[in-house]
Amino acid sequence: MTQLMGSGRNESGGVVEQTAIRTAQLSKRYRRTWALRDCSLELPTRRVIALVGPNGAGKTTLLRLLVGLIAPTEGQIAVVGHSPASNTPEALSRVGFVAQDHPLYRRFTVADLLRFGRSCNIRWDQALAERRLSDVGIPLHQKAGTLSGGQQAQVALALAMAKRPHLLVLDEPLASLDPLACREFLQTLMGAVAEDGTTVLFSSHAVTELERVCDYLILLNRGRVALTGDIDALLGDHRLLVGPRVAGPHRDVPNVIETRHGDRQTTMLVRANGLEVAPGWESHPVGLAELVLGYLRRDAVPTVARSEPISQVPS
Amino acid sequence: MIWLMWRQHRAEAVALGLFLAALGTILVIGALPMHASFRNDGVADCLARGTPFSDTCVEVMARFGGEYGGRGALLPLLGIIPFAIGGFLGSSLLARELEAGTWQLAWTQAVPRMRWLAVKLVTLVGVTIALAGALAAVTTWYRGPLDAIGGRFESTFDIEGVAPPAYAAFAFATAAASGLLLRRSLPALAAAFVAFLAVRAGVSIWARPNYQRPVTTNQDVSNPHDWLLDTGLVDGSGHHLTFAEENAMANAARNANMDLTGYLDSHGVARWDTYQPGDRFWTFQLIESAIFVAVAAALIVMVAWRVRRRAL
Repeated sequence: MTQLMGSGRNESGGVVEQTAIRTAQLSKRYRRTWALRDCSLELPTRRVIALVGPNGAGKTTLLRLLVGLIAPTEGQIAVVGHSPASNTPEALSRVGFVAQDHPLYRRFTVADLLRFGRSCNIRWDQALAERRLSDVGIPLHQKAGTLSGGQQAQVALALAMAKRPHLLVLDEPLASLDPLACREFLQTLMGAVAEDGTTVLFSSHAVTELERVCDYLILLNRGRVALTGDIDALLGDHRLLVGPRVAGPHRDVPNVIETRHGDRQTTMLVRANGLEVAPGWESHPVGLAELVLGYLRRDAVPTVARSEPISQVPS
Repeated sequence: MIWLMWRQHRAEAVALGLFLAALGTILVIGALPMHASFRNDGVADCLARGTPFSDTCVEVMARFGGEYGGRGALLPLLGIIPFAIGGFLGSSLLARELEAGTWQLAWTQAVPRMRWLAVKLVTLVGVTIALAGALAAVTTWYRGPLDAIGGRFESTFDIEGVAPPAYAAFAFATAAASGLLLRRSLPALAAAFVAFLAVRAGVSIWARPNYQRPVTTNQDVSNPHDWLLDTGLVDGSGHHLTFAEENAMANAARNANMDLTGYLDSHGVARWDTYQPGDRFWTFQLIESAIFVAVAAALIVMVAWRVRRRAL
């Protein structure tokens, strides 16, 4: 099984993390606009990877490229050792995908959908699918179109998981779920990862909920990768520095990601280990939401409104 | 995959099948008395002897014509059925999946896209051709007596023989291609309908009369089995009279107090006909079918090429 992961770095006996997904200079253009630009990633296996970014950042494009639904304009992809472009039954069977809005054949009953999965896959764990559905109380005889959004998401997840994939890719699985269904869904997902060691990659435009379940982050903004890495390592690497208000960028502090000025205080997000804090400044740990927002704001186009009050302050 | 095909398309297939079965039953039941009368009342005999204008035959033919001559009046409406079959099934190939997002479900199972497409195309095109072909066969049989008397080259070319299944295949391919481009069922169906009508009208008006060089003659060979394309008057030197010259002739005949036929005869003016002989019917059917099948194949290759390239 190890050679399928396509890492080639596991000579030391499986301690070194293997690679689930590797992309190089991956780009996708729709007519004139680039949805994704120079995306180079190396994502480890057996992780729960969150793909985060604002609407229109290119999340869906990246996920569709990874599962082979669309072809890249430029660049290479390897997913669990296969190119999605090969489109062979073997490569397809290794990846489970739940698309945005968890599309299902609405006129099929749940049992029909399971039969669809069984007849269109090499590996199929019918018992697993039926158990998962009965756990969340979805009757097999009901038509998919009559299920609630949360139930449809559960059915779509059961279909993807019954393939016993090495990689499970989900596009905005939480977007249409209420908080309770959201929690239930994540529980199901986490259960699968714990049982099978599946690698999970899912996208979200909201950052809340992620911190509890994800251990790896990809932050996408305007079609480019803004930040990627192990979440604990990222949080450890970054600090929030709070001090008296200063105008303009601080030349003394290296690796400032973002600076914000309040009425009396300036807050800086910095990427630095063991930073010496200047007198009058405090160093705080950073949360995932603050980290993500900091990187998104850094890449945002500066607006006149934000720079105005700073220029009024005498230095 | 086969099970998926059946489960996904059984509703349309059964609905279309029932509709066409009902239509076919109505045609068969309606045709039985006409076919019996054709055989038993001497019409077939008159045609077989080649004497439809003998005294008894004229009477027999007139009686049959009075009774059943109007039976073909509504049949040209069947010209739309090939689109109903092909367009319906063609738009369910991709437009419905793209509209509902289920293409992402279908193409991430372990069945490669091109295999999925091949199974769907073979089955759906097969059903399309079978249904349209069956209706065309029933229609052809229904019109047998009417065609034997009045011919079928000019008026019912589009609903008989092998052309209707070719039209249906073309409608399927048009709907499949427009579904891929527009990604929604109803707009795709509407666009395909416009394209279908335009191409069908264009081919039948401009291309079909010229599949083979038409015959032009100065003899009066009026035969209902021929397809008369154009007619007019020709003078002794072989010059085809213009409309103005024909008018002048008619006025001159009136001034000379002669009936027109006699006047034209005395001036060496005869009638000319340009027509496609009736025995070319099947050649024309095959040529027309080949054209529509070729266009359908080109469209389907385009669809398959885009699906293969994943240019969605």
